Amino acid sequence: MTNKKNFKYLVFLALFLVILGIPSYLWNKNSVKTMAGRYNSPMSPIIMIPGSSASANRFDNLVKTVNSQYGERHSLLKLTVHTNDKITYSGTIRTGDTRPFIVVGFQNNKDGYDNIKKQARWFNIAFDQLKQRYRFNNFNAFGHSNGGLIWTYYLEHYFNDDTIDVNQMLTVGSPYNFEEKDPNKRTQMLNDFIKHQDKLPADLTYYSIAGTKLYTDDGIVPLGSVDSGKYIFEGVIKHYTLITLTGNKAEHSDMISNSQFVTLFHQYMIGNNKNGQNQPPNKNPR
Amino acid sequence: MDNIFTNRFEKSLAKVTLKLQRLLFYKIAQKTLFMIFPFVLIGSFLRIIQVVILSKDGFIGILLPSFEDNWFINSIIGVTNNLSNLTLGFVSVLATFGAAKYTAKHFERDDQLAGLTSMVSLLIISYIYSKSQPLSFHNNLLGIRGALFAILLGLLVGWIFKKTSPAIPKNPQKNFTSNILQRTFISLRPIVIVLILAALFSALVNVAYYSHLPDEFMDSLAANYQSGNDAIELLKIIGIAIYTIIMSFLGWSGPYSPIDVEKSDPNILDNLYYALTNHTAWGAPHQFTSNSLYHAFATFGGAGSTLALIIAIFIVSHDKDFQTVAKWTMIPSVFNINSGIMTGIPVMFNIVFLIPFILAPLVSLLIAAGAIYLRFMPPTVYPIPSGTPGPLIAFIGTNGSFQALFFAIIDLIISVYIYIPFVKLAEKLKKIDNLAIEEGDFDD
Repeated sequence: MTNKKNFKYLVFLALFLVILGIPSYLWNKNSVKTMAGRYNSPMSPIIMIPGSSASANRFDNLVKTVNSQYGERHSLLKLTVHTNDKITYSGTIRTGDTRPFIVVGFQNNKDGYDNIKKQARWFNIAFDQLKQRYRFNNFNAFGHSNGGLIWTYYLEHYFNDDTIDVNQMLTVGSPYNFEEKDPNKRTQMLNDFIKHQDKLPADLTYYSIAGTKLYTDDGIVPLGSVDSGKYIFEGVIKHYTLITLTGNKAEHSDMISNSQFVTLFHQYMIGNNKNGQNQPPNKNPR
Repeated sequence: MDNIFTNRFEKSLAKVTLKLQRLLFYKIAQKTLFMIFPFVLIGSFLRIIQVVILSKDGFIGILLPSFEDNWFINSIIGVTNNLSNLTLGFVSVLATFGAAKYTAKHFERDDQLAGLTSMVSLLIISYIYSKSQPLSFHNNLLGIRGALFAILLGLLVGWIFKKTSPAIPKNPQKNFTSNILQRTFISLRPIVIVLILAALFSALVNVAYYSHLPDEFMDSLAANYQSGNDAIELLKIIGIAIYTIIMSFLGWSGPYSPIDVEKSDPNILDNLYYALTNHTAWGAPHQFTSNSLYHAFATFGGAGSTLALIIAIFIVSHDKDFQTVAKWTMIPSVFNINSGIMTGIPVMFNIVFLIPFILAPLVSLLIAAGAIYLRFMPPTVYPIPSGTPGPLIAFIGTNGSFQALFFAIIDLIISVYIYIPFVKLAEKLKKIDNLAIEEGDFDD
């Protein structure tokens, strides 16, 4: 039945597969060996902590804006840690999404140093669960207002960088010296942060955004207080950058809907990650 | 004509097909697919270069040294991306042109203008309203996965031309310019109507959202209902696989991508984690995942195991057209890029091939599930480079298990045997078609 003319195509097909199969098999053997040592998980989430009195829904609009403005499809998973350490989930991570947003909010979202310590502990519980569930080993950190303080406390007291890497951190209006304008009057929290600064991961790249109007504050947080972050991070981590945002929508709470901010956010949080891959539209063009 | 078919099943399937072939949609879809075939074919070869060779996690790309900063290679990548995006990635725009043109011609309206109007309206519908990127489009509507929508849109545009404009005059005027102008003003009304409808649609309907909605739903199903129970997992994978296969048969998208395999499914990550700690794929906690079943055994040559179809054509077909298409689409199909054979035979919308298109992957998947369950082979747990040839996925994804390779070959052979009777049937139907054309039954 088989006509001889076509037979050669079948032979060609078989040979083609064998020729392709052997080198890639050898490569794969090697790559599995390397992976067993250390591998970069394809998933690299952007983990976000909202500020005080905000819930896990705080960034819904930000995610929507980023997705529509850049034509990307990042999924959004929201966690709320309750005061009894129980965690509730809402939203999902789409299969194949390597850059999902994960928001961790707290039932007790009040202000104050004592509460930040508690929230950092709660965050640690949530983070461990996330790590277990999604098996990522590198991520980007984002914090709005007190969210940045929770990150800092978490990084100094709970984070273990032997097993997981934080690629970049971005915070907006994080008051390292609370409402204190004068950087010489250091609050207890700032002093503690400076005391434990050697625990911060040395390979961290951190961008801190401060909003101002009339040169002094963003309506709530004084510029000096955000700027105090330099005493904690400078010289300890890899890069520390302070960005000052002014103009329309540079107020403390509006800032995350500011289009300048959205550009910065996309650039630092999504634009690059460890695997060097950008999400769609173009799949990993090298 | 009755004596051509060997059994009752063949006969009834042939009857259904012949009936369907009389439908306007069917005729137009087939012609449109043939029209876009050259672009799809060129695009699929470019996709090989883009995804398999130049991408750093492509099947051949991983073997090559890194050339991140090489200006020359980067230029090649840029040009390939450009060409591939504007052939394979733009094929629905061409398809909607064809569909509208053929529909308008069928209704004796201005076919050129209908085609152009449909093209523009598809671009209007997929336009992204963004301040940062002027003139950008939702690319999932423009590529091969938007083909169904594009053809339906073309039909609609052709129909609007029929309803709102008079037929083109049979005797054209002698003067060329006034001839053109006459045609323009005859078709002006439908053009304006279509453009306004398209603009309203694009402004009011969040196209990106709705075009992703079914996938979004299936994705969340796939990602969230992780069950510890293997039987339920198996059913879920079969369900999603069938959905993906049918969607790709219809020129729409499905949750399982043919070229890339899943990376962030928690079960798959769990398996990978297990395999990396224990240095073996045997005994991985989740036997049945989309990688271990669907991607490794049900996608030889892309959705619908179309590589098996190509082999079947080589073995039994005497039809020159089939053979030519099979030869040309063989290489892209090896890398699981099946758009070529989908439009060239065509397989898409072709009811004759619907049964093997679903059956071949499904049977392969079940055999694989049985083999894994009985511990004849380990599940596929390791990540696989994109564009890994279908029959090799299981072998490479188990880090070289020869049992897995053996079952992949068995599955491929079975898939070929599933396709063979349908290739024969398609050939017979084609003969009837050709006869019909000779008798003048088939218009233009």
